[in-house]
Amino acid sequence: MLKFIVRRVFWTIPVLLVVIFLTFIMMRQIGGNPFRQSERAVPEAVQRNLERKFHVSDPWYLQYGYYVKGVFTFDLGPSLVVRGREVNDIVKEHFPKSVELGLYAFLFAIVVGIPLGIVAALKHNTPVDYAAMFFSNVFHAVPSFLVATLMIYYISLKAGTLPTSGWSSWEHKILPSIALGFAPMALFARLVRGTMLETLQQDYVRTARAKGLHYRRVVGLHVLRNSLIPVITAAGPLLGFIITGSFVIELIFNIPGIGQYYVTAVNARDYSVVMGLTVLLSVIVIFANLIVDILYGILDPRTRDARA
Amino acid sequence: MRKHSPWLWLALLLASLALVAAGCGGDDEEAGDTGATTAEGGTEAAEQVITVNWGTEPPSLDPGLASDVTSANILFNIMDPLVKLDDDLNPVPAAAESFETSEDGKTVTFVLRDDIKWTNGDPVTAQDFVYSWKRTVSPELGADYAYQFYGIVGAQEYNGCDPKKDDCAALADKMGVKAVDDKTLEVTLTTPQPWFIQQAAHHSFLAVNKKAVDQFGDKWTEPANIITNGPFTLERWQHNSNIDIVKWDEWRDADSVKLTRVNGRMISDGLTAVQAFEAGELDVNNQPPSPDEMARLKETPEYEQYQGLGTYYYGVNVKNITDAKQRRAMALAIPRQSIIDNVTQADQIPATGFTPEGMPGYDAINPDSPWTPTEGDMDQAKQLMEEVANPKTDITLYINDSPGHREIAVAIQAAWQELGIKSTIKQQEFQQYLEFLGPPPNNDVDVYRLGWIGDFVDAINFLELWTCESGNNSTNYCNKEYDALIEKARNTIDNDERYEIYGQAEDILFGEDGDVPVLPIYFYTYNTLEKESVKETFEINLLDQIDLTKVVVTE
Repeated sequence: MLKFIVRRVFWTIPVLLVVIFLTFIMMRQIGGNPFRQSERAVPEAVQRNLERKFHVSDPWYLQYGYYVKGVFTFDLGPSLVVRGREVNDIVKEHFPKSVELGLYAFLFAIVVGIPLGIVAALKHNTPVDYAAMFFSNVFHAVPSFLVATLMIYYISLKAGTLPTSGWSSWEHKILPSIALGFAPMALFARLVRGTMLETLQQDYVRTARAKGLHYRRVVGLHVLRNSLIPVITAAGPLLGFIITGSFVIELIFNIPGIGQYYVTAVNARDYSVVMGLTVLLSVIVIFANLIVDILYGILDPRTRDARA
Repeated sequence: MRKHSPWLWLALLLASLALVAAGCGGDDEEAGDTGATTAEGGTEAAEQVITVNWGTEPPSLDPGLASDVTSANILFNIMDPLVKLDDDLNPVPAAAESFETSEDGKTVTFVLRDDIKWTNGDPVTAQDFVYSWKRTVSPELGADYAYQFYGIVGAQEYNGCDPKKDDCAALADKMGVKAVDDKTLEVTLTTPQPWFIQQAAHHSFLAVNKKAVDQFGDKWTEPANIITNGPFTLERWQHNSNIDIVKWDEWRDADSVKLTRVNGRMISDGLTAVQAFEAGELDVNNQPPSPDEMARLKETPEYEQYQGLGTYYYGVNVKNITDAKQRRAMALAIPRQSIIDNVTQADQIPATGFTPEGMPGYDAINPDSPWTPTEGDMDQAKQLMEEVANPKTDITLYINDSPGHREIAVAIQAAWQELGIKSTIKQQEFQQYLEFLGPPPNNDVDVYRLGWIGDFVDAINFLELWTCESGNNSTNYCNKEYDALIEKARNTIDNDERYEIYGQAEDILFGEDGDVPVLPIYFYTYNTLEKESVKETFEINLLDQIDLTKVVVTE
């Protein structure tokens, strides 16, 4: 197991290098001027001064070298657009908020989605099952920003119970977490239901029941554990998606997270911020996948043996 | 056979608890929320605190680097400019107690007040201004607005210096700004610029405190480090979230400031901002709502509208659409009032020239162009089109992807269709759009949309756009006669005389024989939502500036 982990961590480096290279090329390809943020043209002298200051007029291989060096010394450089702020500062200040939002959404998805799927599977083909699946289908299909806007309208504006936007107190955190968590919740419900239904048909379940074990123990211990495997498969990249895909929710609820920064930086051509955030997010996705693989080993002895 | 697992119950219980907690969340108010909010005007409220929406996060609060409206407004209230603008946009003393221009118009002298100081106790001196202005022009800082100083002797040369190759320090010394003594600032201009004193009300002309900059470098604008000299101080800056400012009791005119605190959210999404306002979380929202919300919001008593010094226009690539008659016809066909009533819906003013209404001298400057009738004149347009020898009937119309532009473009596309011109709308992402426009514009561009917002209050700021060398002229229009007029205006000190020259320049563009290189559509307005308790005193001036020292919360 340890060898496995070390090898995977080691492979992170070449993957990162490729990610940096691709992002670098793509950002250069789309052109644009990071120093022009309005319709007003930048005077020549000013443009030259800025290009000189931020090394943007250096040959491409030099710039690429700077970035790679920056990544491995954890110095992601200054923002080209938000003057006076370092990318490291931006990450330190805004990233934890996105992670928090992502985690709450994830928790919501698990706490509501998994039980929902279990109930649906256990009450297969009853109205409970149909209701649960209808509910989950709807929330998988409806886009998160629509859910968000409706919630703000009915819960915040009409009922006046929760604030409309912001991220300061615990009341602010409820609606965005639910809005972001709805779609993953629906996904988990369907996955759990599907796998449980399949597992319940398995021979070993029938054997356990025949042996006289309590149904609850059978379900709770054996069936559930095996049904969670596809959920974990989905959870890994989903966590990455929630953290990155929260841009819309962050915009609607005015949450100062990294998502807003990322999209704004691409539009503004803030090269250092885009590079820095891409690297950060790649690392997260890579490690999320690594954790998923490790969890497999714990949950499913079959993969453990295959690996050894 | 037992059907329910205890895990199941636990999970469902947790889920329902969470929902119940969500439903029962109290109606908490944030710290420092407003006091009375009833509709009656008149008496001052006990608690003079308001919550505003600054809009987007300011990229920088350094006066040398700030280039957007949010930064400008915050700076305007935490710093003390040399002059401010009154309701008629004339300069009035602020940090400077007096100012005068020499007879030849090339030397401007500001005398500073004795009672102005920084929050660290130091007095504000003329040397502070010299240091700050030279810093903004320095090539190392890379300031966007360095060009505002190009009217000062030596500034353009200093700004264009390459620190690696030339001796920039020597050029800095030659820049025409100096402190005659602690309280007297003398500025030497390259040509007479009668608008210079007014221009000094712009935030790039603010002083910064050298000690703060030296000690904290890039981080000197953080609340813990910043040293200011204005009516408010920066108390809290949570990036992308809040900026709160509080009254500074030691400001020179602190007695006249009623507000004790201004809390600021930063909500850039129009819909979220409106919802926050309607939920009572904001006292003022000046983020424009989306056009579909406009109709409903205009009916509310909180809606307020201000004139803006800006022009929305369509530029024409005169190398592609070469015949002035076709351009005039295209201008005639645009149904301006209809677009304003049905598309933009913010009571903008239909443009009849390029310089917007509100500009001093507007009556003399505005050509009341025969080519820009308020409702459009399709018959005359069609007649004129027939006189065009080789009309270009297949044109491209470039717009960027921000909200509102497409709807206007579609309306104009329909109007031109009637003239027999088929326009293909090409929408681009903002940065790519700017690259396409150059100048020089990409060959494929026939017509493009842009807006111009005034930096300072003189028509030259608008009219110099159409000179041959202007970096903002993407029309390929180059008329020596026009350039000569603008040059003449730069050297004309007498206001009325200068306004006459501006009028002549506008005539070259939009008069009977006008070249019409651009099709002006409307002059901007700013719209806000303001609670009744602040509506009376909260104002936005033509330059989109908000003076918080004048705001009073009423009962």
